[in-house]
Amino acid sequence: MDCKTASDLLPLYFDGELDRATSREFEAHLDECAACRDALVALDSLRTALRSETARYGAPASLRARVEQSAAAPPVARTQRTRTHTRWLAMAASWVLAFVAGGLTLGLWHQGSAGASDAAQLNRDLFASHWRALAATSPIDVVSTDQHTVKPWFAGKVAMAPAVHDFADQGYALMGGRIDYVGSERVPVLVYRHGKHLIDVFVLPEMASSSTRDVVTAQGYVLEAATLGGQRAMIVSDMDRVELTRFRDLLSAQVPEN
Amino acid sequence: MIATSNRTVVDELALRHLDAAYNLGRWLLGSEQDAADAVHDAYLRAARASDTYAGGNARAWWLAIVRNCCLARLSLRNKDKHNVAIDANPAAAERWLPRAEAEEIEERLDDSRRSQRLDVHLRNLPVTYREVLILREIEELSYREIADVLETPIGTVMSRLARGRALLQKALTEDGSMEIPHGL
Ligand SMILES: [Zn+2]
Repeated sequence: MDCKTASDLLPLYFDGELDRATSREFEAHLDECAACRDALVALDSLRTALRSETARYGAPASLRARVEQSAAAPPVARTQRTRTHTRWLAMAASWVLAFVAGGLTLGLWHQGSAGASDAAQLNRDLFASHWRALAATSPIDVVSTDQHTVKPWFAGKVAMAPAVHDFADQGYALMGGRIDYVGSERVPVLVYRHGKHLIDVFVLPEMASSSTRDVVTAQGYVLEAATLGGQRAMIVSDMDRVELTRFRDLLSAQVPEN
Repeated sequence: MIATSNRTVVDELALRHLDAAYNLGRWLLGSEQDAADAVHDAYLRAARASDTYAGGNARAWWLAIVRNCCLARLSLRNKDKHNVAIDANPAAAERWLPRAEAEEIEERLDDSRRSQRLDVHLRNLPVTYREVLILREIEELSYREIADVLETPIGTVMSRLARGRALLQKALTEDGSMEIPHGL
C-alpha cells in the first residue's frame, strides 16, 4: 500500500470503518511509515482529549421525568434486530482495497466539491455510497431474495417504493435493499449479486434526474443510467460492460406498476 | 408492527438514548433549557411518527429527530433576532450560534484550563463540523449512523469529519494547549 492510499484510508481505519483484510494491509504500511503513524497518533490524541475532557452532558433528571411522564406506557423489553451476516460480504470487503488503491480515493470528494456540477456531485455520492456499502459491516438493511418482501419494506420509508424484481433465473439474484442518501434525499437502493459482483441500483428522485446519461467509469467500477418501472435509476457495479448492459436491459424491460 | 407496539419501542428508545440526545442538543443549542425543550419536542414528534420508525438504525432515527428539533429552535431563535431563515442561509446559523457561555464554562471548568480551551475551540467550530465531531467522537456513531442523523451522503460525513478534525487540531496547536506528537 502506498502512502497516498494509506493516508486516505487512515480516518476510516481510525474510525473502525475498514474491513479486517484492508486493516491488515494498512497496518503493514504503518510499520514502515512514520508520517502515517504520526497522523494516527494525532487523531488519537484529539479523540482522547475530546472524550476525557469535553463534557458529555447527561440528561437532567427533570428532562427524564418529563419524557417518562409523556410516555404512554412503561418501557418494555426492547426489540432486537439480528444482523444478518452473509458470506459473500467478506468477499466484497476485500474489493475495497482494490477500489481505493485503484485511485478513486477520498480526494475525489475532499477536493473538487466547489465547482463541481450537480451531475458530478451525484456521481460522487453514488460511488461513495456503493464503496462505503462494500467497506462496512452491512450493505443491506433488509436481506431478502424475495421481491415481495423487499418492496413493502421500502413503503413508508421513502417517498415512492421502487419496482422490485428478482432476476435470479437470468443470473442476477436479488439480495435485498437499503436506504441511502443522494444529496439530502433518502433513496431506495436495490442490491443484486452477479457471481462475485455486487450490484447497487439507486432509484433516483425526480429532481436528481439530471443530465447524468453517460456511463461513468472509475477504476473498473461502472455507473450507468437505467430506468426501473418508469423511474430513473443508476446502476453501480464492477461487472464488465456486457454483463452490465444485459442487467440494465432486464431492469428496463419491466413495465411500470400502477 | 402495530402502532402501539411501535410507540412503546419509541418510548424505550428515547429514554435509552436520552443522554445522547441531550448532549447533542446542548452542543447545538448551548443552553440547558433549550436543549431539554428540544429533546422533549423530539420525543413528542418521535412518538407521533412512531410508525415511520424503520427499524435498524434506531438511535440514528431518534437523533435525527432531535437534531431537526434543535435546528428548528435555532431557526426560530434566529428569526427573532435577525429575521433570517436557517434554510435560506445555513452559513448564518454559524454566526448566531452560542459561542462561549462564559459563566457556565467557568463554573464547570475552573479546575482545568486545558479542558476549557478544548471546550471553547469545539464550541467555536461552525455547527457543521461541531455536530459531526460530537456524533463521532463523543457519541461514537458509525459513518452510516451519522449519515442517517444528518440525512446526508457518507462522502459528506467523511469530508466534514476530516475538516472538523483538522480545524480543531489547528486551533489547539495554535494556542499551544495540545501537543501534537511529531514522532513515536
Ligand atoms: Zn504513510
